[in-house]
Amino acid sequence: MSETLGPALLPSRARMRRTAPAVVSAVAMIAMIAVCASLQPDVLSVSGLSLVLSATVPLVIAAQAQMTLMAVGDIDLGIGNFVGLVTVITATTLVTDPLLGGLILLGLVASYTVLGILIHLRKVPSLIATLGASFVWLGLGMFVLPTPGGTTPEWLAAFGMWQPAGFPAPLLPILLVAALVYLLSARSTLGVRMRALGSNPVALERAGLRPLASRAIAYTAAGGLGVLSGLVLASQTGGGDVSSASSYTLMTVAAVILGGGSFYGGSAVPWGVVIGGVTLGLVSVVLSLLDVPTNMQSAVQGVIVLAVLAGRVLVGKVLR
Amino acid sequence: MNIRALVARPWIWGFAAAALVWLMILAISGQGGGQTVSLALSLAPYLVIVGLGQMLVVTAGPGNIDVSVAPIISLAGFVSVLAAFSTGSATVGVLAGVGAGLVIAAISTVAILGLSVPPIIATLAAGLIASSGTLSLANGFGAVPDPGLRSLLNLRPAGIPILAVAIVVVTVLVIALLRGTTYGRSLIAVGQNRRAAERAGIPVARIIAVTYLASGALAGLTGALLAAYIAPSADLGTRYLLDSVAVVVIGGTLISGGRAVPVGVWGAALFFILLDGLVNLVGWSSAAQNLLKGGLVLLVLFLAGGGDRVAGTSSRFRRRPRPAAATTTTTGENTHG
Repeated sequence: MSETLGPALLPSRARMRRTAPAVVSAVAMIAMIAVCASLQPDVLSVSGLSLVLSATVPLVIAAQAQMTLMAVGDIDLGIGNFVGLVTVITATTLVTDPLLGGLILLGLVASYTVLGILIHLRKVPSLIATLGASFVWLGLGMFVLPTPGGTTPEWLAAFGMWQPAGFPAPLLPILLVAALVYLLSARSTLGVRMRALGSNPVALERAGLRPLASRAIAYTAAGGLGVLSGLVLASQTGGGDVSSASSYTLMTVAAVILGGGSFYGGSAVPWGVVIGGVTLGLVSVVLSLLDVPTNMQSAVQGVIVLAVLAGRVLVGKVLR
Repeated sequence: MNIRALVARPWIWGFAAAALVWLMILAISGQGGGQTVSLALSLAPYLVIVGLGQMLVVTAGPGNIDVSVAPIISLAGFVSVLAAFSTGSATVGVLAGVGAGLVIAAISTVAILGLSVPPIIATLAAGLIASSGTLSLANGFGAVPDPGLRSLLNLRPAGIPILAVAIVVVTVLVIALLRGTTYGRSLIAVGQNRRAAERAGIPVARIIAVTYLASGALAGLTGALLAAYIAPSADLGTRYLLDSVAVVVIGGTLISGGRAVPVGVWGAALFFILLDGLVNLVGWSSAAQNLLKGGLVLLVLFLAGGGDRVAGTSSRFRRRPRPAAATTTTTGENTHG
């Protein structure tokens, strides 16, 4: 289950089994890009890829936040509204008063830390605590900005419009954040502690390390990634809307699962999450290129998620 | 029963919070305490029905949750109104709503058991399929809810809604189901320790299937009734996803499974409905309503705490919720660790 023993020299059977889910999702992703390209060859150009990928960036970053919490064995049902709240703060306070806006965003990250600490100390299920928190995020967002609107700070808008010549711009934040999360969760001591909390909390405590610290760090990282996701989303939409990301809550969970993550904690799959998130984001692009009626899009999305997971089960059976 | 034993009852918190909110409403409006209760009783049953289904699912063990209830409610609303309108029979309408819930739940069940998809993803995917159905039906929808069913749902002899009485009966049936039937006992056993239940020869797959189908059917029933009471709409069920999970947990059902508290669902549902009433009374916006709801859920949660203090297990064993180590009145003695 866990990668705490370090990488094996050869791709062992266990390692193959561990990466198989992400590979299946990667096949699905490549298939979808191929379908896009056959319908609309422009998709493979730099500007085409930017256009197709840009919508998936905030989802992928939010999915990294979800993955961080799922690595310690928790789940975040408030991330969608949290990202929405960040877009609202970005579109209002951060424009009028950058200092105060920045402080509020830092405060939001800190509130995630506090949430994690309280969840740990009071031994309550993360699922229901983050559910309660999601009402709070939604309320705060509606309070600050009752109807969608506002503007984005200039630097952020410039980032949203940025189009370098050589490569698709959305790839940069996606890969940068994934690399950062990879370094934190898979290559650092902190990451080992976080995954240990997810896979074997007793062992973590026996080793003389404090589970509380691990959980607090995981929640802080999730809060930070959530803020980042909101900033990117605001840079794309050019305004704030607290309910603009409400679908992220469940979509991020789906992205993590598609990327090979697990509900039982202990595994960190930042690269898998990129694949899972991009796959989910591409579904709607493929469907609109295929002229699937808008009504049926969500059904097809559901069927594709199930199909990819079915493929995973099949591969898992073969490998066993 | 002394106070200590009463406080230890898991369902007491929902009712206590509801009573507190009711007193606040009474203090602010200064009149009509009975009327408030009557109104709350006519709105709470819808949340209770879907909550009971969610409770059964949550009881099936760690990881079990039904996130398809919201889209099912919306879909069942349209299906039932359409069926009742075209056949002229409200009964057929309600049955069609329940049927719609069963169909969507069947998709989740096949995915969970056949493809070993985690329940949250399986029900999410089934829910996406349901919402496509809803959107297709909503396009140019012309049917109107059955007036007979609507007036039945509005019937309040002596201030007590008929529906509330009916749902109290349903709740009692669910309690009997959990305590007295093979299915109920098996469900609790599966929730406490799935592997042990398997070894004991319990047909785990069948129990899980029945549980998700029951949740789907109950969500479908909620949608059918709600659409007749208000009107069918694409976001009829939206609020019921978070609310159904919240009322189950505030009601004292263990989120890690193995302990179901049907009575608690009532307390928590009344709490939520009264809270809406209080916020409307004060004239606060829906922003404040959400803030208050979230804040109170967190407050109740953090005050009540979780884990297993009663059994006195040492702290290092508490973190990972092992259903078998929970305080339960249903299976007698538990072993430590």
